Amino acid sequence: MSWRAQGLRTWLLQRLTAIYMALYLLLALLVLYSHPVTGFTAWHDLFHQPVINIATIFMFASIFYHAWVGVRDILVDYVQPQPLRFMILTLVSILLLALMLWVVFLMFGVLQG
Amino acid sequence: MRFLIYRYHPEKDQKPYMQAFELDGLDKNKMLRDALLLIKKQDESFTFRHSCGEGVCGSDALNINGTNGLACITPLSSLKEPVEVRPLPGMPVIRDLVVDMAQFYKHYREVKPYLVVTDPEPEVEFKQSPEERSKLDGLYECILCGCCTTACPSFWWNPEKFRGPAALLQAYRFLADSRDQAHDKRLEELDGPYRMFRCHTIMNCVNVCPKGLNPTEAIHNIKRMMMKDVV
Ligand code: SF4
Repeated sequence: MSWRAQGLRTWLLQRLTAIYMALYLLLALLVLYSHPVTGFTAWHDLFHQPVINIATIFMFASIFYHAWVGVRDILVDYVQPQPLRFMILTLVSILLLALMLWVVFLMFGVLQG
Repeated sequence: MRFLIYRYHPEKDQKPYMQAFELDGLDKNKMLRDALLLIKKQDESFTFRHSCGEGVCGSDALNINGTNGLACITPLSSLKEPVEVRPLPGMPVIRDLVVDMAQFYKHYREVKPYLVVTDPEPEVEFKQSPEERSKLDGLYECILCGCCTTACPSFWWNPEKFRGPAALLQAYRFLADSRDQAHDKRLEELDGPYRMFRCHTIMNCVNVCPKGLNPTEAIHNIKRMMMKDVV
């Protein structure tokens, strides 16, 4: 998709990720309420289940994407000098990508272990 | 009644300043425009735009006590003293309360505010059913006063790129018109991060529109149309 088409796409994804996060949080609260996590083994067993594991990866992907769109919107509105805007956006992207990699790394670790 | 009026003459004044005026024995049932005309009698160097005097032409859009509105339909009785009158925010000031609306009209022109028809023209007239016509209610009434666009923070931050509520309302006015045939082109033109998607549903536009129109809803409807085309 071209840069011009990015208006609708990011706007839509921002909303879809919001819905997903809300649903995940609701389910997470229900699950944690019915199966309280009391220690490492319980936590490990919970995230060892592929469905929960993958859903959690998507949850964090949603958070990071949502955050990226939000930060981009703030920068486009309030940071007018292009080079500075580009620099901050790049730094934020790197940070979010690193966090995402870390989440994937952790979750795959639990899945295998 | 006490007034504080924004004054600026670029050739004479270093900086804009607020000038105090006092009008005695003012009929509070009159409108702000009447008071401004009396002020002009006191000081003839003061200038502001106005024309029809009844909220139809959209010339005397001003920032009145911090809120945009038309001076000619703002009753003096509704205003707290001292009444602070400033030019529309975020626009280049030409003199006193007169601003340069060029940017505003440019965005208006960009949305092609006219019917685009590619079919051969019908011999007699373009037909439209009453239902189809009713879709234009709440859209065609805009008088292009600029109250909404100049009250919009998204427009203040990106005045060259963001179309602004008034132009987007007009964009939707033609998207909603059953006779128009440039649907896809119009939507494509509005995509991208700036032209329409700078709107963050702040709704200042809805608050200030002297015609009671709802640009935010129009923008929402454009997004709906875009989504329909994608799905
Ligand atoms: S939508 Fe309302 S506030 Fe905006 S330009 Fe039209 S009449 Fe003025």
